[in-house]
Amino acid sequence: MNTLHVSKGYDLPLTGRPGTDLDVLPRPSRVALLPEHIPFIKPKLLVKEGDAISCGTPLFHDKRHPRVRFLSPGGGIIDAIEFGPRRVIRRVVIRLDETEAAESFQRFEEGQLRQTDRSALVEALLDGGLWPLLHALPFRDYPDPETQPPAIIVSLGDDEPFQADPAVYLAGRQDLFGYGMQVLARLAPQVFVSAPAGAGDALQAVSPWITHTVSGPYPALDPGVFLYRTRRSPADNRTWFVRGQDLLLMAGLLRDGRYPTERIVAIGGPATQRRRHAITRMGAPLKSMAETTAEASVRRVVGGVLRGFTGDADGYLGFHETALNLLPAGDQREFLAFVRPGTRKPSFSRTFLSALNRHRLPMDCNLHGELRPCVACNACMQVCPVEIMPQLTFKSLLADDIEEALAHGLLDCVECGLCSYVCPAKIELCDHFTRAKRRYHQEQTAA
Amino acid sequence: MKRLVQRFFDAQRPRFTEGGRLARLYPFFDAMETVFFAPAHTTGIGPHVRDNLDVKRFMTLVIVCLLPHLFFGMYNVGYQSLTATGRSPDFLPACLIGLKAVLPMVIVTYAVGFFWEILFAAVRRHTISEGLFVTCMLFPLTLPPTTPLWQVAMGITFGIVIGKEVFGGTGRNFLNPALTGRAFLFFAYPVRMSGDAVWTYMGGQAAVDGFSGATPLALAAAAEGQEVVHTVLNQAGYDLWTLFLGRYAGSIGATSTLLCLVGAVALIAMGIASYRTIVGGVLGMLATGALLNLFAGPGTSPWLALNPVYHLVMGGAAFGLAYMATDPVSSPDMESARWLYGFLIGVLTVLIRVFNPAFPEGVMLAILFMNVFAPLLDHFIIKARLKRRMANT
Repeated sequence: MNTLHVSKGYDLPLTGRPGTDLDVLPRPSRVALLPEHIPFIKPKLLVKEGDAISCGTPLFHDKRHPRVRFLSPGGGIIDAIEFGPRRVIRRVVIRLDETEAAESFQRFEEGQLRQTDRSALVEALLDGGLWPLLHALPFRDYPDPETQPPAIIVSLGDDEPFQADPAVYLAGRQDLFGYGMQVLARLAPQVFVSAPAGAGDALQAVSPWITHTVSGPYPALDPGVFLYRTRRSPADNRTWFVRGQDLLLMAGLLRDGRYPTERIVAIGGPATQRRRHAITRMGAPLKSMAETTAEASVRRVVGGVLRGFTGDADGYLGFHETALNLLPAGDQREFLAFVRPGTRKPSFSRTFLSALNRHRLPMDCNLHGELRPCVACNACMQVCPVEIMPQLTFKSLLADDIEEALAHGLLDCVECGLCSYVCPAKIELCDHFTRAKRRYHQEQTAA
Repeated sequence: MKRLVQRFFDAQRPRFTEGGRLARLYPFFDAMETVFFAPAHTTGIGPHVRDNLDVKRFMTLVIVCLLPHLFFGMYNVGYQSLTATGRSPDFLPACLIGLKAVLPMVIVTYAVGFFWEILFAAVRRHTISEGLFVTCMLFPLTLPPTTPLWQVAMGITFGIVIGKEVFGGTGRNFLNPALTGRAFLFFAYPVRMSGDAVWTYMGGQAAVDGFSGATPLALAAAAEGQEVVHTVLNQAGYDLWTLFLGRYAGSIGATSTLLCLVGAVALIAMGIASYRTIVGGVLGMLATGALLNLFAGPGTSPWLALNPVYHLVMGGAAFGLAYMATDPVSSPDMESARWLYGFLIGVLTVLIRVFNPAFPEGVMLAILFMNVFAPLLDHFIIKARLKRRMANT
């Protein structure tokens, strides 16, 4: 087992880490799939409102690769298909019925996997709607099914505040995990499994598969950071990755021949009352998942607080997300904020007395300032885990010089959000990079 | 209090927003309001939480570090004035005279600087950046206390407009605006910016007999033949300790090396100023001073033999290194380039002082010169860095 220490990055001193206790949430009456929050795809609907569907019926496919389908996470009736601005499909809501019929898919016995054709596994994953759980670096789109990666990284654990703990979602599932590893071994010549260092006994059951233990501040556990630190040649940049919990879903599909919908979700954040993990299902409604503290208004962040999206009170979990974090909205004006000593104002800088405060602190969604021009404070350069020089790369993007930005390592950006977090000028650096990467990817695939 | 202020701003807001008579001046309203109330803006896109530090606090902390310089500068101007005119230099009268001499300059600087910033903000429709307040605090501190107010206005105008706004405003300037303004005055009105007569505020009183008004740097530069510079300085009452504390005639706020040291340590501790620039600059001055010592001998200027530590405590070098050279916008972006940048500022400062008889002080020109070279330093460092990076395209 190799060890990898990442020194650059930053751990937000945020309160609200979910406990490792595991709740079972009651079966919801509705589930949904949110095409809006699946990056890059151009969904083409295959169902309409009122259709009766089973768990595993295709709801839409991606026009770019019609073989890539997204299946219904439950059986029942299509309750609503909601559109947003410019006819973007916001969500497909399914009202579950009692019986919940389920589609069946091809099964693979564990013993057969070694002899199975790679293409048969790819076909099965495409049919079973779980191909998009694989991600291809550097763009993090799902990989083109026709291609082969140099390697696949399985990332156990995500140190973004706050994501599901691998010790919780892997508990008692080591057989399934082992099955998944055999599948991946057929998909790529090399499979790396990265796990947080210091997990100790918690990951004992899967330790035979772990190839690297990773230590360091957020986002050390990100597969992009892992690749940045371990790649040997430029060809490695096309490595794929899959998250630990997603691998369990893929393994479940191929082993049992049913569309798996179980999700273990981390429920945390400073405005959440009971911080814990919970067993629920893909696309479950957010409403009954977390109780807020007395705060007047809260923001429901689906995913981690750095990369997640804002869900409304009657929203749903996305296809990829396995966390719900509640944050105080922070939409109040603060009197004479900039001269306060700030013993409880967390900051990457040392400009508040909180620099001497070792405790984790609550944070809210306030921007804590206004947009200003960059003053070259270099905070972004100090946190960037992949050693991009964000303020310079950002300036070359403003000047429309994509070549320069690429030379700076734009595609190495892991979209961790730290540069935007630390920026005192409140420049949306990460958003600029993410959108530039996205544009570049679209140009590349269109060509 | 809080509620009163809030009511006041809420009452004024309609005039400054869309449809109001003063809608073009919204940046002014915004700047005033955000002094009292941090805006309620929340994050639109991820990351959903943000650091508490903003540019306002960043700049405010620099101003806080400059305030001791302002107060000490006022006292020192009064002290020098009282001793030059043969009166007893008591603390309170000294402060009052200094207040009378310096406060109008500070007020004019802020009024004129703010005027230009609002004008550009209104025309270009951007917000007022807090960097202005630092520039306007720095600028008067670098002037002789006798500068006429109209020159103060001219200088800050040049500094803000030509030094900053024509390039797009804060963050896009390549020269330090306060120093640009000072350099403009220095070359446009040399009579009021150099020589022995400008450094002591007389307030209408006659000087005592034998008063020269020469600054330590002028004395050092004037030493000739067999004279030893630090003896000359000692005879004029400028021993190392006096120079370190800063109670001598000079630019209003730049004389005290002690305060510069305190300010630099505070700024470095808070991570606002780059210690690389400051340490590099100190090393540059000491190294150049020590190198010049090697060439000292009979027939050369007595400057060459001066103990390099004197360079640090005389004139505005310490002030320039602590507050001007560390301006992040006009410094190189790369941390490693800042070592060289600071070092070369130190080298140039000493070289200008020692070898250029026209300029007793060199730190202003050294910093402006290195501001111009900062992008070049960055260019080479970045090129070297990108060469090591594995391509990903």
